[in-house]
Amino acid sequence: PNLALQRGNWCSPAIPRSQQNTMEDLQTSEEAAFVAEDINNIIKESIDSILLNATYSQQKVAQWTAQIVESCIKRTTALNKPFKYVATCVILQKNGAGLHTASSCYWDNATDGSRTVRWENKTMYCVTTVFGLAF
Amino acid sequence: MALPAKDFVIEPAFNAKFRQGKAQDIITEVLKTKLTNVTYHPDNTSTWTREIADDIKGKLKEMGLERYKFVVQVVIGEQRGEGVKMGCRCFWDPNTDNYATAEFSNESIFCVAAAYGVYLY
Repeated sequence: PNLALQRGNWCSPAIPRSQQNTMEDLQTSEEAAFVAEDINNIIKESIDSILLNATYSQQKVAQWTAQIVESCIKRTTALNKPFKYVATCVILQKNGAGLHTASSCYWDNATDGSRTVRWENKTMYCVTTVFGLAF
Repeated sequence: MALPAKDFVIEPAFNAKFRQGKAQDIITEVLKTKLTNVTYHPDNTSTWTREIADDIKGKLKEMGLERYKFVVQVVIGEQRGEGVKMGCRCFWDPNTDNYATAEFSNESIFCVAAAYGVYLY
């Protein structure tokens, strides 16, 4: 029997191996690193779209923080990267008081990162942070 | 060929998950130890925030949760009657990931600390 004819190709993948994005490829390619500049723009646009020209209002501030973090999460997840995201937002009324923030993270320095954006207008400050953690 | 079951674990055992109650106790204790009877001062408050964040992170590491990444955020502000609001949203796997927060305030400062635990598959 001719063995060459009997060797069937029944397990060929639908996408050729050369084009498949395996787990190793994802982790070594640029896609898997946290790109701070994209996140920076995303956060700025999120805050601007909600707080531009707004005056501090006790009733609305809860709604604003929720909208800002939701918008940040929506846009960062739209980047379609293998990341988990945590977005926090602090809105502080301008009163002459001081505010200090710090964050300490136990993660993988090569793949994870964070970005903080400080924004202000005449009546309030807004400090928004997005942490990206690779999985 | 028998492969050990440990190699195919994709989520933590139920007793090895990030527990919100336990983490919250840790955070409240750190805030109480570090911030009782302090007065706001622009020079040393930023050192306090950093120390508290590192302290909380160290204690979370001691909890012994393997394969968890931690993010700790601490906000300290001066109490002057101003309004402040802090919110957060997370995009993660609610089966394995969780967070804990605690607040502390006295006459001159208020402090909010949030710790997030994210599982690494």
